[in-house]
Amino acid sequence: MHMTRPGQTRALIIGAGIAGLQAALDIANSGYEVVLVDRLPSVGGHMAQLSETFPTLDCSQCILTPRTVEVGHHPRIRLYTYSELTGLQGEAGAFTATIRRRAAYVRWDLCTGCGLCQSKCPSRVPAEFEGLLGERRAIYTLSPQAVPNKPVIDREHCRYFALGRCQVCERLCPVGAIDYEQRDQVVEEPVGAVIVATGYQLLPLARLPEYGGGAVPDVIDGLQFERLLSASGPTAGMVRRPSDGRVPKRVVFIQCAGSRDPERGQPYCSKFCCMYTAKHALLYRHRVHDGQAIVFYIDIRAAGKGYEEFVQRAMDEERVLYLRGKVSKVFRDGDQVMVWGTDTLSGRNVEVAADLVVLAPAALPDSSQRDLARVLGLTIGEDGFMEERDPQLAPVDTPRPGVFVAGAAAGPKDIPETVAQASAAAARVLSLFSRWEREAQVQVQADGRR
Amino acid sequence: MGADRDREGQLPVGQGREACAGTGRRIGVFICHCGSNIAGSVDVRRAAETVRGLRGVACATDYGYMCSDPGQALIRQSIAEQGLDGIVVAACSPSMHEATFRRAAEAAGLNPYRVEIANIREQCSWVHQEDREKATQKAIALIASLVEKVRGDDPLEPLGTPVTRRLLVIGGGIAGMTVALEVADAGYEVILVERGAELGGRLRQIRETYAALTPLAAPLQTLIERVREHPRIRVLLGSEVESASGYVGSFTVTVRPAAGANAPGGYRSEADPAGGTQHEVGAIVVATGYELIPLSRLGEYGGGRVADVVDALEFERLLAQEVPRRPSDGRVPRRVAFVQCAGSRDPEHGVPYCSKVCCLYTAKQALLYRQRVPDGEAVVFVIDVRTGGRRYEEFVQRAMEEGHVLYLRGKVAKVFRQGDQVIVWGVDTLAGRNVEVAADLVVLAAAVVPSAGAAELGRRLRATTDELGFFREAHPKLRPVESLTAGIFLAGAAQAPKDIAETVSQAEAAAAKVLGLFSRPELVQEPTVATVLQELCAGCGLCVSACPYEARSLNARLRVAEVNAALCQGCGACVVACPNKACVVRNWRPEQTLAMVGAVLGEVQ
Ligand SMILES: Cc1cc2nc3c(=O)[nH]c(=O)nc-3n(C[C@H](O)[C@H](O)[C@H](O)COP(=O)(O)OP(=O)(O)OC[C@H]3O[C@@H](n4cnc5c(N)ncnc54)[C@H](O)[C@@H]3O)c2cc1C
Ligand SMILES: Cc1cc2nc3c(=O)[nH]c(=O)nc-3n(C[C@H](O)[C@H](O)[C@H](O)COP(=O)(O)OP(=O)(O)OC[C@H]3O[C@@H](n4cnc5c(N)ncnc54)[C@H](O)[C@@H]3O)c2cc1C
Ligand code: SF4
Ligand code: SF4
Ligand code: SF4
Ligand code: SF4
Ligand code: SF4
Repeated sequence: MHMTRPGQTRALIIGAGIAGLQAALDIANSGYEVVLVDRLPSVGGHMAQLSETFPTLDCSQCILTPRTVEVGHHPRIRLYTYSELTGLQGEAGAFTATIRRRAAYVRWDLCTGCGLCQSKCPSRVPAEFEGLLGERRAIYTLSPQAVPNKPVIDREHCRYFALGRCQVCERLCPVGAIDYEQRDQVVEEPVGAVIVATGYQLLPLARLPEYGGGAVPDVIDGLQFERLLSASGPTAGMVRRPSDGRVPKRVVFIQCAGSRDPERGQPYCSKFCCMYTAKHALLYRHRVHDGQAIVFYIDIRAAGKGYEEFVQRAMDEERVLYLRGKVSKVFRDGDQVMVWGTDTLSGRNVEVAADLVVLAPAALPDSSQRDLARVLGLTIGEDGFMEERDPQLAPVDTPRPGVFVAGAAAGPKDIPETVAQASAAAARVLSLFSRWEREAQVQVQADGRR
Repeated sequence: MGADRDREGQLPVGQGREACAGTGRRIGVFICHCGSNIAGSVDVRRAAETVRGLRGVACATDYGYMCSDPGQALIRQSIAEQGLDGIVVAACSPSMHEATFRRAAEAAGLNPYRVEIANIREQCSWVHQEDREKATQKAIALIASLVEKVRGDDPLEPLGTPVTRRLLVIGGGIAGMTVALEVADAGYEVILVERGAELGGRLRQIRETYAALTPLAAPLQTLIERVREHPRIRVLLGSEVESASGYVGSFTVTVRPAAGANAPGGYRSEADPAGGTQHEVGAIVVATGYELIPLSRLGEYGGGRVADVVDALEFERLLAQEVPRRPSDGRVPRRVAFVQCAGSRDPEHGVPYCSKVCCLYTAKQALLYRQRVPDGEAVVFVIDVRTGGRRYEEFVQRAMEEGHVLYLRGKVAKVFRQGDQVIVWGVDTLAGRNVEVAADLVVLAAAVVPSAGAAELGRRLRATTDELGFFREAHPKLRPVESLTAGIFLAGAAQAPKDIAETVSQAEAAAAKVLGLFSRPELVQEPTVATVLQELCAGCGLCVSACPYEARSLNARLRVAEVNAALCQGCGACVVACPNKACVVRNWRPEQTLAMVGAVLGEVQ
């Protein structure tokens, strides 16, 4: 990087999942300013949806909220939630980021987060955060511990926007924060370096019809199951199946749904689903003592510190039954879900009548990845994830100087790996910043002498 | 379902304030529901009502999520409006949100050391889910005891200690070099201690890396040269850390020639040959890497007994030749059998964990072998193929399809020599048959274990290692590169088996922690440490030997004990040891402790 003047020591981070949060804290706690952007109304990404985390089973919210709270109050972190990056001009050390803040129809500068509006809003909508298994209102926050804890109005479902009447929230709000006239805002932020931390999303169930995805109500995905396990979820932590609210007595877990399947799905392995499936089976057995958990797998990929031991524990202590094989068909049969497969170890066909089927769908890059790559001038791989400069030797660098990538945005990763990568990206940024700072000092001295 | 239930118990701020209406006393109690985590088994309303009557309590209130923005606002507002001079937050473990609540209190002008956390989740609601009555009583007792503690808490100021902005890196593999370069590029001095004769670590033995089969020699050489020529990096080859003392920001480390160095005909140590040199550093990164479990411990696979049974690192060396040749007679092997998980995932004979890197490098080695010996045959014995993550599954598929590598799923029972061949007996668990493969060479993917002396190094640094000698991280998910000792960080395979990509990420992450530390003008130390009441101290020195952190010493002139505040962890061992009650931990005075016990006993009859 050859620059005439030393770079701007401010970082832009796109995506506020655990990767973005960790990188933001590392940089801000080293004395530099951070601009943190997330598309959702609040921070935390997927980790905020998880119940407990492998391999130590600590509760995800419990270990996450100290970080979200710190970010929310950090004097050097400027948070833009409900916002997206629409442009990035310039070069390392002198970028200008254009950020579009979506209208929340709530004046966050006034709102105290009291929650009154959402308790009385008459429009109920299935909540995306709950995997559509719970409800939210048209005015909502993602969760009671949301950071920031300020609601947004979902225009599409708001009665006032649709019918021109209601205004319940406006009438109730003690501080007059509701503003139906609010417009999207565009802001520009000067930054010196950028970290992309946009994470992943799961392959939609509808794209897994062979497993009953989208057609059978009691076929759900891993994130939905996390919400069923979660004490703050729609069932308060008891596993109940969506169709009739019954506690399932036999649950079948199907791994590699859409992964390792170049013909119909993704060619790659999604890396974290073997481990979370073992966790799911184990937690299900903790919740439903007389329940039976059956896992269909191809290989058990438990490569990581304490991981092999964790899977052994699920098998030995919780008697989770692992069947090696491929599932050929899943369909509804009365109030049960039939799973047909082949046990490749014994060579026999197996047929299991389950009460609930949980799929581990392939992890895809976030759907915005392609557009974002265009805005950032980055390339994405055949698999859709951001390309690194060198996957082995420079795993958090991108080909564009001053732009880095961390976490699941560059391929599926579990939390420990994501956190390490986030700090790694922070180190790359910190090292640039401190170089620029030294250059600035030199320049000041030179100017002084002149 | 959903939103409503979640928000149950969330009082609008105004209502909470009313519940706190001034009673003239000045401690506030804030009881958290943690959704249903606490409120599910503790009657939080009743707890609030009960503790409202306690001595010194000005107000008590409950709320859905105290750590949420409105929860914190409630605390700040109560402090300001009621002029509270101390608070107890009854919630989750202090390791979660003590910092959050102290920050909130400080923002409202309250000294953060007059904030106490009553842990009524991990220590109460979670463990007493069956008995709501008893759980509620216990919660009240815990809160009452913390109220007593706050009554005696002094307002304290954090202590500042200076930082030496120089880093010590132990281990000169890819991990150590990456950290050293990043920190040096940022402008700080680095001392890199490597016990071997050269930099580069294991990668010197590895010619190409998966998944793109990129040659490693050139980039490794560039890296080594950059390290050697960097004006701010001092490399000490053939050297080891003999001892370390001090604390974060200020360590003193003694480096001496490594055991193997300076021997006649051996390599030269760059450390001071006369018994070692001392270095002042502010942080230490451990990057000591790994080795493979010795072949002699893999006897059931012919390890150590059969010449043509080699470990995978040895096979990397064989592959570096134009064509690989086997050790016994130098012939080019026509059939190579690879045995994965040799010693891994085997709690009885080897190690319980999975070594993580061997599935991929075995695929790489099999593919490379097939490229070097096109008419050769490669057979892999595997339990699970662990190729998680981007590009890796595709790579193994390539080995299978393009390389015609044959994967047999099953456990190897025995490996032995027959004539000039090596026979591998195994069970193909897919076909359910026993298989016998007569190979010319057998390659064992031997378990990855910590490098020799890791546990001993851990003891010298006071950074803990696990039973096996891998360095232990502070938190497996959120603090993967910090050791349990402040100022000591971990990088690469020293913490657990890792491939290059993960090693580099971790090394960079360790660099971030170091840069964060060095960026601070001074370090902030908790003031809740031990002190000595000089007029009571007889100078007997019992506390000095009782202290597990070497924080105490005797002042010979004054004949009293002294505490190094930066080393003290506030454990209280000295308090117990002192016969004269001269040792006191700040805000844990004996009267406070007794009052706390009294409060608990008063509540639980
Ligand atoms: C069912 C399930 C269970 C799991 N369980 C565990 C477990 O127990 N232990 C474990 O270690 N790992 C687990 N994982 C993996 C874990 O979820 C990931 O490791 C982690 O969430 C990755 O964090 P991230 O920050 O990279 O991505 P994410 O969590 O996906 O966060 C990305 C953030 O970026 C935002 N974003 C995306 N695109 C844009 C854009 N264009 N502009 C602005 N913002 C954007 C998103 O809104 C989101 O907030 C599990 C995964 C699943 C699916
Ligand atoms: C057969 C085989 C093939 C592999 N192939 C690949 C591959 O293709 N791609 C890939 O990504 N990964 C591969 N790996 C993994 C790769 O070797 C590791 O990821 C990498 O070497 C880890 O680097 P490190 O710096 O942590 O440790 P190391 O490379 O082990 O370096 C540690 C350094 O520390 C020094 N040291 C140790 N103890 C001390 C001490 N007490 N004092 C001072 N110095 C000390 C050592 O001498 C050494 O120089 C392979 C591994 C094996 C076994
Ligand atoms: S105006 Fe819209 S958001 Fe407000 S209460 Fe009515 S429906 Fe809900
Ligand atoms: S009622 Fe008003 S102040 Fe309360 S959360 Fe809703 S918008 Fe914010
Ligand atoms: S991690 Fe396991 S379940 Fe997920 S794609 Fe890979 S092999 Fe399949
Ligand atoms: S990485 Fe593969 S070969 Fe190595 S121990 Fe794990 S499963 Fe076995
Ligand atoms: S409190 Fe513990 S660490 Fe501190 S001086 Fe006493 S014995 Fe040592």
